[in-house]
Amino acid sequence: MTYNLFIYLIITIVAITAVMARKMLISAIMLAVASIALSLLMFKFSAPWAALFELSVCAGLITVLFISAVSLVKKEDMALKESRAKFTILPLISGAVFIFMAIFLMPYFESLSGFTRNPEIQPKVGEIIWKFRSADLLGQITILAAAVFVVKSVFYKRSEQ
Amino acid sequence: MTTELLSYSIIPLLAALAIPFFGRRSFKLTEILSNVTLLAGLGNLMFIIFNPSNKLHNYETFSFDGFTILMLFTIYLVALSIVFFSTFFKVGDFNKNAFYPLIMISVSAMSSMVLSVDFFSLYIFMEALAVTSFALIACEEKKSGIEAAIKYLLLTFPASALILIGLAIMLFANGSLYFDISMQNASPAVFSALAFIVLGFAIKAGLFPFHFWTPDAYQGAPATVSAYLAGIVTKVSGMYAIIKICTLLKVMGPASFKISSPLMLIGVATLIFGSIAALAQKDFKRMLAFSSISQMGYIVAGAATLNPIGILGAILHLFNHATFKTSLFLNSAAIEKSAGTTNMKKLSGLEKNMPVTSWTSVIAIFSTAGLPPLSGFWSKLLIILALWVAAPKPYAILALIFSIVTLAYFMLLQKNVFFGKPKEELKEVKEASVYMLIPVIVMCLIIVVSGIFFPFVFEFFEKTL
Repeated sequence: MTYNLFIYLIITIVAITAVMARKMLISAIMLAVASIALSLLMFKFSAPWAALFELSVCAGLITVLFISAVSLVKKEDMALKESRAKFTILPLISGAVFIFMAIFLMPYFESLSGFTRNPEIQPKVGEIIWKFRSADLLGQITILAAAVFVVKSVFYKRSEQ
Repeated sequence: MTTELLSYSIIPLLAALAIPFFGRRSFKLTEILSNVTLLAGLGNLMFIIFNPSNKLHNYETFSFDGFTILMLFTIYLVALSIVFFSTFFKVGDFNKNAFYPLIMISVSAMSSMVLSVDFFSLYIFMEALAVTSFALIACEEKKSGIEAAIKYLLLTFPASALILIGLAIMLFANGSLYFDISMQNASPAVFSALAFIVLGFAIKAGLFPFHFWTPDAYQGAPATVSAYLAGIVTKVSGMYAIIKICTLLKVMGPASFKISSPLMLIGVATLIFGSIAALAQKDFKRMLAFSSISQMGYIVAGAATLNPIGILGAILHLFNHATFKTSLFLNSAAIEKSAGTTNMKKLSGLEKNMPVTSWTSVIAIFSTAGLPPLSGFWSKLLIILALWVAAPKPYAILALIFSIVTLAYFMLLQKNVFFGKPKEELKEVKEASVYMLIPVIVMCLIIVVSGIFFPFVFEFFEKTL
């Protein structure tokens, strides 16, 4: 219970930081941290497949893309210049939602964690990748390669300038 | 995935990753590498198909079917023609450094789609294909290209969402997404899942009434990219899955008509709408785009009969459409380069200056309209026969009538663009270079040869399907 709540707290804080951060790079990194924490929670709740995809796609692939895109943006455009005062309401709302969910939703998820489709098959991370979903590994590599070239082609004028 | 053919998806991927490194030394190397990779793949596939030993043993040593191998062959053939054509097609501000790797990745994604044995892998590779197509459309630094790319992304995004919803429902209902297992029980949940999935792929294939994005994307994209999109990408990303589902539906027995009869209606509506809309077009590329929509209608209608003849007709028409539409789009690219426009009102009498382009167009047009003995005739014949046997009779009659309409609008195109008196400003127009004509001539040869030797093509599918 405490472990779950702790991770849940981390997700909330990191997610708020991702939205509030002035630098895009920090936002991207915070998003990755949130994904990692979320995948830890999924592992804990006996959903290793979902956790694995969260870890590899959201924390890995998307972060690589965001960071590569951010690296192409000029430095002077990086810091947002607008006033962020109106965004201070966000942590307040998130805090309220956090408390509400910590009381009601987390115990509900914990009650569900015993339920899995095939309780006898609980493979390890490596086994999931190599034995069951080796095709998706190729898919992820393809998407990653595609995305890198898309970033390269879409931003090509920009990087030349 | 079918592991014995995995190299067809891995090698282009590795080539795509290697191209930027070669590109630093010399740009020529990247062009050579892309051409050689695709040529080697095509040669290898032809060895599998035409090897007398394989033929003698009825291809029993392989686990794949004739559909898979034909799709791989089509992907490599069209991609090679486009890459070879682009090597000698030099226009404007075209980002070729990104073009070749993107083509290679999309070839890899399409091959993987064809080789996948479950819906989830199919979905992943379809998304990879969508991402590369988006970037390919935006390859040219023109406003129309970027607008077309954004339209493509926004209008096909709902398709991905629908497919994903369908997959989720199917996973809940069956606990598996493998093709052979997922169709076995005919529960309402499986039907609703299939409806979502088919709807998503129908949007991807640009079927009526979900066709909004196709004409704009084809017209706005760079000339070679529109040939690539119309030639193979929309076929693999949308139509392949629909035909695959139709081949699997027979497991369900009579209940499968719940899916197939609406699909057949969509197919017939698409072929009618595409033909009528094509009649009204003033732009060469736009007319080809609407003609593509109409031919997609034939393919869906044929596959949805769930009749072996209809499915074979659909598969063959998919291949034939790839050959004749690629050659027509490449011809439109050559005209765009030489005459500077694809507006049919501004074009006239190009036959005198561009005889090869004109006569290859005639072959492709006759094949599209289904004139014997060209390949298009046989596939259309099979589709119309299947519709006559396994569908309401008016469908077959409509398919036949609109085949004549196809001939009408293409003759109109041929008359406006190539025949008649050449205009003053078009007198200096020159024929495309020999290298640019090679892919088109090869495509036309395939159209003629596979039409004349159709019994051998039929025999191959009889043994492998």
